[in-house]
Amino acid sequence: MKLLSIALLLSFFSVSSSYAQDFEYARITGSDIELKNSQLDSNANAMVIREFGTAAVQLDNTTGKTYIDFEYHVRIKIFNKEGFNHGNIVIPLRIYRDEEDEIKELKATTINFVNGQLVKTELDKKKVFNEKKNKYVLLTKFTMPNLMDGSIIEYSYRLHSPYIFNFKTWEFQSDIPKLHSEYIANIPAIYNYNVSLRGAQKLAKQNAEIKKECLMIAGNKIDCSKMTYIMKDVPALIEEDYMTAPGNFRSAIYYELSDYVMLNGGKKSITKTWKDVDYELNSDKSFGTQMKRKDVFKELMPQILGKASDDLSKAKAIYNYIGKNIKMNGFIGIYSENNIKSALEKHSGNTGDINLALIAALSAADLDAEAVILSTRANGVVNNLYPVISDFNYVVAKVNIGDKSYLLDATEPLLPFGLLPLHCINGNGRVINLKKPSYWQDLKASQKESTKYILNAELTADGKLKGKLTTYSLGYAALKKRQRIVAANSVDEYVEKLDEQMPGISILKHSIENVDSLDNTLVEDYEIEMKVFDNLNADQSYFNPFFINRITKNPFNLNERTYPVDMGAASEERITMIIKLPANISIIDKPKDMSMALTDNGGKYLASTSMQDDSFVFNEMLQFNKPIYESEEYLSLKEFYSRIIQSQKTDIVFKKTK
Amino acid sequence: MLKRLLLLIFIAVTFKGYAQEQPDYNVENIPSALKSRANAVIRYMETTIDMRAPENVILNVKKTVTVLNKNGDQAAALVLFYNKATSIKGVKGIIMDSFGKPSGKFSLSNFLDESAVSDFSLFEDARIKRYSPNVLTYPYTISYEYEIRFKQNLIIPDWYATPYSDVSVENTSYTFISKPDDKIRIKEYNYKGNAEVVKSDKVVSRTWKVTNLNAIKREPYAPDPDNYLTYVKIAPEQFTYYGHKGSYSNWQELGKWVYDDLVKTRQTLSPDIIQEMNNLVKGLDSDKEKAKKIYEYVQKKTRYISVQIGIGGFQPFEAAEVHRVSYGDCKALVNYTQSLLKAVGINSLYCVVYGDSYKKSMDAEFASMDQGNHIILCVPLKSDTTWLECTSQDSPFGYLGSFTDDRVVLACTEEGGKLIKTPALTTAASLLKRKAELNLDKDGNINGKLHTDFSGSQYDNYRRIISKPSSEQLKLLKEEYDIDNIDFSNLKLAQRKDSNPVTSESLDLTIQKYAPRTNDRIYMVLNAFNKTNSIPEVRNRTLPVYVNRGFTDEDEIIYNLPEGYSIEAKPNDREIKSPFGSYAVKVTMEGKKLIYNRKFILNNGTYPADKYESFMRFFSDVSSSDNSKVIFKTN
Repeated sequence: MKLLSIALLLSFFSVSSSYAQDFEYARITGSDIELKNSQLDSNANAMVIREFGTAAVQLDNTTGKTYIDFEYHVRIKIFNKEGFNHGNIVIPLRIYRDEEDEIKELKATTINFVNGQLVKTELDKKKVFNEKKNKYVLLTKFTMPNLMDGSIIEYSYRLHSPYIFNFKTWEFQSDIPKLHSEYIANIPAIYNYNVSLRGAQKLAKQNAEIKKECLMIAGNKIDCSKMTYIMKDVPALIEEDYMTAPGNFRSAIYYELSDYVMLNGGKKSITKTWKDVDYELNSDKSFGTQMKRKDVFKELMPQILGKASDDLSKAKAIYNYIGKNIKMNGFIGIYSENNIKSALEKHSGNTGDINLALIAALSAADLDAEAVILSTRANGVVNNLYPVISDFNYVVAKVNIGDKSYLLDATEPLLPFGLLPLHCINGNGRVINLKKPSYWQDLKASQKESTKYILNAELTADGKLKGKLTTYSLGYAALKKRQRIVAANSVDEYVEKLDEQMPGISILKHSIENVDSLDNTLVEDYEIEMKVFDNLNADQSYFNPFFINRITKNPFNLNERTYPVDMGAASEERITMIIKLPANISIIDKPKDMSMALTDNGGKYLASTSMQDDSFVFNEMLQFNKPIYESEEYLSLKEFYSRIIQSQKTDIVFKKTK
Repeated sequence: MLKRLLLLIFIAVTFKGYAQEQPDYNVENIPSALKSRANAVIRYMETTIDMRAPENVILNVKKTVTVLNKNGDQAAALVLFYNKATSIKGVKGIIMDSFGKPSGKFSLSNFLDESAVSDFSLFEDARIKRYSPNVLTYPYTISYEYEIRFKQNLIIPDWYATPYSDVSVENTSYTFISKPDDKIRIKEYNYKGNAEVVKSDKVVSRTWKVTNLNAIKREPYAPDPDNYLTYVKIAPEQFTYYGHKGSYSNWQELGKWVYDDLVKTRQTLSPDIIQEMNNLVKGLDSDKEKAKKIYEYVQKKTRYISVQIGIGGFQPFEAAEVHRVSYGDCKALVNYTQSLLKAVGINSLYCVVYGDSYKKSMDAEFASMDQGNHIILCVPLKSDTTWLECTSQDSPFGYLGSFTDDRVVLACTEEGGKLIKTPALTTAASLLKRKAELNLDKDGNINGKLHTDFSGSQYDNYRRIISKPSSEQLKLLKEEYDIDNIDFSNLKLAQRKDSNPVTSESLDLTIQKYAPRTNDRIYMVLNAFNKTNSIPEVRNRTLPVYVNRGFTDEDEIIYNLPEGYSIEAKPNDREIKSPFGSYAVKVTMEGKKLIYNRKFILNNGTYPADKYESFMRFFSDVSSSDNSKVIFKTN
């Protein structure tokens, strides 16, 4: 992951005449009509011919409020009917507490070249629909009329956004290629934004100039810096399976307000340093204030703690209590949506409500608790050069007991104490402490996804395998199983389903331990019977020992890879079988014993078969030590899996002795 | 302050009053049979529909549900649809603990308001109000009532004794109230007994009651739940809908109204378009050729976009408007195509169908407006009848895929409605025929050629792949043939779009290390490309076995073996014949050629519940044979 940073330095500016500008609406050139997808990507169904956007901070004279004025204009060529979906336009608008983004001056035109003539069809204004998706998002939707192979569609609009902290992000790269993408940001000199360019694509041009007196606030004329960025021939961003957030790789330019000069000449810092952020979060009504609300738990505490006496058991008791008493409402965020008190009363809240309540409760029990803000995997990586608060979209708790610390997320009640859900395992989080300066925290999973199978069985003369299978699951493996047990309503129904899913194997008896004690290994005991052969009378019989979790498909079956491979968590699976054979059976051939490893301790596979007295012992182990593998490692992963698959296709050959 | 205090007293009083009226909802009182397999139990439910006037229909629901565990939460959630013609009133409810003691209450202000636009739609005017109780200890009981007012009576909601298979019912009833001179038609499905009818001068009420209904376990290969659930459909003769009025008592009249009121008036075309169509078909002799020309014109010109507003849910856009913007939903595109055909003198039928890969027919005995979800076009021609799917830009002329084949649809015509059946894609016609010739080398690598033809319902198997650019096709093909180390080249996908359309693929392939070796032996699965999975066992099967769609697969693979290979073991030739279908596998050696032949036929049909065991056995026999290996030795 590369993160480039562009400093906005005044010395970098040149005062020059206008350099780039919007292109004329619906004025189609011969080259637009001639354009073929082969020019950039012969697999493209549609392509952006030209795209222009400009954003500026403006002052609304009637309300006296500043806002961001954003203009957008694009021309897209649709090559074939597979590209028609790019003629269905959805513009998401944000809803803030008491204001919302507003769209104006929308126009859209389809231009077709028919019998040597340009035919333009305008979008009917009555066919623009507004849909309130949920409490945070409004959608403006329309579809382009009269699409055919080779249509050119063009649309433009102006967006009025009341929220100046996030200056409009500009995405140079999308799911279709772009010939030319251009963005002009007009930023008044009194505002200072941190600017970051992400992704692998290079800017074709960039320019900065001073625009005199672009804004007038309370009689003061303010200069602006006009920043122009252009990218050309930008390839489409094609998503791959097992990919971390596409946003990590998309070429785009991001802005975050860092400080601004007030009219009295003083400087107001917004997100300049972590010190400022610490102060702001700690005093924010929806963050720090909630963390401090020990009062909410004062009276409840004896009941919550019960008999817990040491700090660790107190922390566990509180973690269980919050997990059981506030249900996740489906929204994530670092801030408390309502406040923790009402979340506790209503038994419902967002991640902010739940985990800030957890921190407050831990503090109320005199434990050392801190908040960790982070960005989920789907949301991408955070900027670690300077604070970009909008990068963070999730909060968890950190509790320090003795010399140990535990990361806690109470939104998933089936997670064991100290294990974060997978979507939180993403680079670094920032620990926000009410009293001390904030610091980075490596977000590592405290446990692997780990499963162990032990089969002790006997192969009987009638061709049946009878015995006991014990499974031990820990970490994410235990989490997944507990989720399945909950979904099945009861252990009995879970086992019934399991049995039904495996025709040929019957579960005669079962017991499952630690379904509810989340901190312990989930242990499943099954007495099983499996029909392997019709009988063992044949001279030779073939037995495949890889019947537990056999890998039948290679998850990495492609020949090339652009982005890193996200395997979720590090994982380990061990299988041991001890199978007693009838006296008259011996082994004459078996799968080759295997021992192989990925470079750099990335993973390991072992398999071995041996005879011990009258039983054969089979051991298998598959281990992945990294959650994420680089794209260069893709082919070794593919080969690694391929060799496992080859080995698992081979059998043990039994021979009947007289 | 005083105001607030008063409010509190008021709440306390009503709370108490409400609680006192309630019967005892202690969880202990639920009969144990109702708890088996159930995630929730409807303790008491009273559904009343009062049709005061065609434009004033009141639905009133009183419901008490006990949620036994987390998976039952959905049965306690309230999701109410509303739009311009449907308004929600008087929602109130209380939540009780397992002893039936009230612990909280809610009203409409606690609901979330959301858009109900489905993902594939550009716009629909439906919205929903949603409420999910946040109760953390199970079991709990929720009791609520609400009222919904419909400004139409064309569609009276169906009443189901239980909407979900995992919810059992202690007590539920449905009362339909109408005026004595209102003519209504009623059909009861799987209801034992007769409705209780009470008549007075002013109203007639009919009541259906169901008690002690157990939860049903979900089972694979089960028939449409409508085959066994208890439900009642009601259709008034005189109706009002978004300003439209009409009456019907059978399919003939309903079809007539749809045609006259909703369709006929939307077909005006300008003389230019009529001229354009006549020019288009000039020189073509038969109506079939003309219809084909026009269908292809529509396919090239238009695309499918869904917009559902008001009566627009049933009425197509104007044909002229579709011509102008070149898009529309199913109704609009069928209406447009029909208008264009009319312009060249070809008669066609606007047909309402229930589109789903799961076949579902119009009920011949009971006409109502809510039985379809899609529109297709039927063109009755002299020698044969042709069916057109107008929302597809690439369907062959005359081909209905598995979404609409083999079911009864309503044709809406000038003479009235007619029920007709769409053609069936039969088991025999739904054919996959594959042939491959592969060379195995001494390192276990494979290379060779493969050709497959797909027809009948299998014509669409490659729908997802065929329209994609070539690099993407190769990627997707790896999902079809998900074999470790497989690679393709010279891929050719083609479609023959005649009256019996065929999709065909031909390609060269390599599979590195397909046949691994141990010290002495080489292992190879013969059936490389078409393996059937086993299906779950079901203990105590209760529902009939239903196979919605039959098909026939024929695979032949010829392996050219390297020098010196001999077979130590090979899969037995197998032939299984059963009512569910048949399976035959044959492995023959001809010199160095090892020939694998497989034919698998799965019939569609319905079988009694006790046949599930042998149905499952059939699949597991097929699956184990499909996965069996040949074992070679080398000398």
